[in-house]
Amino acid sequence: MKIQVNEQALILPNSMNLEQLLVHLEKPLIGSAVAVNMQVISRSEWTQYNINEGDNISLFQAIAGG
Amino acid sequence: MLFEEMKQQDQLIIGDKHFHSRLFTGTGKFNDQQTMVAALKASKSELVTMALKRVDMQHKDDDILAPLIKNGMNLLPNTSGARNAKEAVFAAELAREALQTNWVKLEIHPDPKYLLPDPIETLKAAEALANKGFIVLPYVHADPVLCKHLETAGCAAVMPLGAPIGSNKGIKTAEFLEIIIEQANVPVIVDAGLGSPSHAALAMEMGADAVLVNTAIAVAGNPIAMSQAFANAVQAGRQAYLAGLGGQSTEAVASSPLTAFLEASL
Repeated sequence: MKIQVNEQALILPNSMNLEQLLVHLEKPLIGSAVAVNMQVISRSEWTQYNINEGDNISLFQAIAGG
Repeated sequence: MLFEEMKQQDQLIIGDKHFHSRLFTGTGKFNDQQTMVAALKASKSELVTMALKRVDMQHKDDDILAPLIKNGMNLLPNTSGARNAKEAVFAAELAREALQTNWVKLEIHPDPKYLLPDPIETLKAAEALANKGFIVLPYVHADPVLCKHLETAGCAAVMPLGAPIGSNKGIKTAEFLEIIIEQANVPVIVDAGLGSPSHAALAMEMGADAVLVNTAIAVAGNPIAMSQAFANAVQAGRQAYLAGLGGQSTEAVASSPLTAFLEASL
């Protein structure tokens, strides 16, 4: 399945939900936020959102700032 | 009421949270994470700001969050990087998911040279975010009229600037901060530009409810010692405000009795 993650093309080996994607990419679950096609997906819905072919996924991370 | 009692009961309330410390701090610009955590702990700050960025797919980022949560700090995500109201609302919604808080420091500064906040977009975003249930703390210029509009829009506090972000220039907006403080029905947090503890003390003496300091602590020779210095200054300034400062006068007002005893003895 071909998707975009932060403007990079990615081929997923199998179907997965958003939480599984973060684990697959070795990104932390805590401090992360996810948008699919520019819609913010609530953390509680990560396991229910199954990624679709062509989804444009944006991953964000909390960092230091003033 | 005794002054000590008054001091003990002096708590800052924003939204649903009570604060003992009136020094809020930022987490940016520290040389390393260990120094950052030690400095924030030494400051006794109970609210610390954070930012959000797109994940770099090539690199692993440091886990900045765990030590802050472990030390019981309340997190205040900002919308830095947003250039308009739409982007700021998007950033706030992301931050709410990332940090599991509906608090947001709303900042929209499209011009990278001076990082001055866009008042029109900030007001638009503040209205939208307050309607969505966010606790909104907007970073704004020291504009008393704008601050009243933001209060009406449902902001939980206002954060007028002393000087441009990271400039360390101190309070260049004093006359207007005084008006904001006089008129506000929500807490006033002086944010940006405070470069030394004396600047923070001055803001507190003027009656500000809190200050937010990042750069001046993070880039100090010894950030841990500097954060303590800021904490002391904020406490001193607040105590001076509560104690009631004496009035100013152009002419001298003698502190010793001007009796003519020298002449009398001649």
